[in-house]
Amino acid sequence: MSYRSHSDLGGRTGIGSVIAGAPEREGEVFHSPWEARALALTLAMGATGEWNIDMSRSARETLPDYPSLSYYQIWIAALERLLAERGLVMPDELAAGHALHASRPVARVLRAAEVGTVLRRGSPTQRTRDDAPRFAPGDVVRTRADPVDHHTRLPGYARGKVGRVACCHGAHVFADGSARGLTEPHWLYTVEFEAEELWGADVPGPGRQVVSIDAWEPYLELA
Amino acid sequence: MLAEFGVRLPEETEIRVWDSTAEVRYLVLAMRPTGTERLGETELAALVTRDSMIGTGLPRAPATEAVGR
Repeated sequence: MSYRSHSDLGGRTGIGSVIAGAPEREGEVFHSPWEARALALTLAMGATGEWNIDMSRSARETLPDYPSLSYYQIWIAALERLLAERGLVMPDELAAGHALHASRPVARVLRAAEVGTVLRRGSPTQRTRDDAPRFAPGDVVRTRADPVDHHTRLPGYARGKVGRVACCHGAHVFADGSARGLTEPHWLYTVEFEAEELWGADVPGPGRQVVSIDAWEPYLELA
Repeated sequence: MLAEFGVRLPEETEIRVWDSTAEVRYLVLAMRPTGTERLGETELAALVTRDSMIGTGLPRAPATEAVGR
């Protein structure tokens, strides 16, 4: 097992409070101007088609120093990594902070005038499949228990747990495959879990607590 | 965790969490505060906060003069 995500923190204890310091004020989007540039650079390079969103998530989540970086520091560190892996930036350029060599052309370039249109259009992930979904709303399912040696969106806290299918969203791009360049889409479901199934009997309060995740069919078996 | 956000709910409140693990995104329809029956859309919108749309806060209470007498 060589693949290790540092971002799968849901349900883990002993890592301090969720809010470090004061929460951001209402309407505060960036802490400083460089964060806006980090967002813009990442979106602009994403638009080139050199990688997809699952590859960029994987690049972020496997950064060895992930736990010590802020949100946009993670974005920039992963962007540098993706660029370097594809030969679009050289180590001496990262050190110098500016271009030193002619770079190879990329397939698509996001022009400033198109940014609004492109962002509004988004990147829909709905696809089609020839077969029918295996599961229907109400089915009781168990999630995959084994860890996998690649990018996944099944949270650690929801591995090997029994839940109920709430709905099927149709076939979607499958993150686990897409991060590895595979293109087969899979049926996507919302699956609900009782808090006791995820966290044990020690759930406070008499009120019911339910956690829903979106899970692709390969994550699930009938329970 | 809600307490870290300064939110305290009655123990019997049912809590539903959506973890957006795929590309489907969710937002919370903020719960209408009591005493707002006579408020219009603009006045109601002013009570909605960021936190009340991501499930870590409740909407603002209406100003007392807006409460029906």
